[in-house]
Amino acid sequence: MDYGYVNARVKGMNSILFNRKYYDTLILKADIDSLITELEKSPYKNEIEEGCVLHPGILGIEYALRKNLIKNYHKILGLVRGDIGEIYINVFLNRWDIQNIKTILRGKNIHASPNEILECLVPAGELDEATLTELMKQQDIRSVIDLLATWQISYSHPLTMYLDEYSEKNDLAVLEYALDKYYYEHSLSIVAGKKYDSRIIHDLLATEIDIVNIKTILRVIRDSIDIEETQSMLLPGGKIFKHKNLLELINTNSIRDVVRKVESTPYSFLSDIPEQAFLTDKISAFEKELDRYIIRKGIRTLRGDPLSISIVIGYLWAKFNEITNIRIIARCKNAYISDEELQEELIYV
Amino acid sequence: MEGWEVPIGAAIAFAAGAIGTAWAQSRIGAAGAGTIAEKPETSGSIIVLEAIPETLVILGFVVASMIILMVK
Repeated sequence: MDYGYVNARVKGMNSILFNRKYYDTLILKADIDSLITELEKSPYKNEIEEGCVLHPGILGIEYALRKNLIKNYHKILGLVRGDIGEIYINVFLNRWDIQNIKTILRGKNIHASPNEILECLVPAGELDEATLTELMKQQDIRSVIDLLATWQISYSHPLTMYLDEYSEKNDLAVLEYALDKYYYEHSLSIVAGKKYDSRIIHDLLATEIDIVNIKTILRVIRDSIDIEETQSMLLPGGKIFKHKNLLELINTNSIRDVVRKVESTPYSFLSDIPEQAFLTDKISAFEKELDRYIIRKGIRTLRGDPLSISIVIGYLWAKFNEITNIRIIARCKNAYISDEELQEELIYV
Repeated sequence: MEGWEVPIGAAIAFAAGAIGTAWAQSRIGAAGAGTIAEKPETSGSIIVLEAIPETLVILGFVVASMIILMVK
């Protein structure tokens, strides 16, 4: 595939992403209304206008951000349609399908209304809005899985396989784990080759698996969950931590020991987290740093071979980061959180 | 038949330059079209960049002319 045209367009799209100076401008806005006014001058103009007509305040911004993310991702997918690049990009976009199915299952679990669920969906993957809307209308979790199976959507396989276990334990984490496991195993099998493009995506996926596993272990230790039970919740295929290493980590007694054990790995940055987080077992601080690490790593692929998929993958991460940052700013403005605290929450790249 | 090496040499010099130019312009053209689609204000620079590989075929033409005129 000739990436010249696609990558030039993607680089053009990347050049209009917000820089640090513009984030500062957004942070300095006094309230949510002035933030909306500022965003109306940005590339989000059309979506913000539409969002603010349909929903008031923060909900309008959320709507606009979702719409813009979907528009951008689908635009890129359109550029590579029919080429090998489409497969690689779908590997990235399929995570939104997983996220959407999880959201629907969670919504059904707490008997949320279809409208409430719809507000949380981001149809950026292969499952479009019409499919997700139909899934949302189902009565319960079992009906959602049945409908996925009827439509022969591949995500129904892991869900059907773990449905009995879910029914026994009545724990949604079982189904969520099944989806994650399926997504990572399936994606890793697609990018198993030795080509440059495959290796880039494989590396990112394997790093993500490590991060998901570290987060799981931190939660297990904090909540003192049974170790035997947790072993089956660890994802295979990590970059640094294989099953044996994960068992070593899980058998430690404290978060501090986990951090000490990862000091010789690329995740050594965890030891720089303030002491307060260790004392209070506040794992959100660790999770935030791990998320930052994978986002930075994803965006760094923008500096890879200019005639490879790495530019597109880097952009997808950069766009995701921009949307996340705007959402953080909007949420903080809505909750009257100070500018200093807000700045700490943002992920600058 | 004598002296056929000279026009063949000139042809190779010109053809190699032309092929090099064509290959470079196709890649630059594709990337340039992508850039202009996203940022139309860059069209001036893209046209200049698109023209740069022309130097290769001009060089090929000069070498071919020199072969014909100077090789006895």
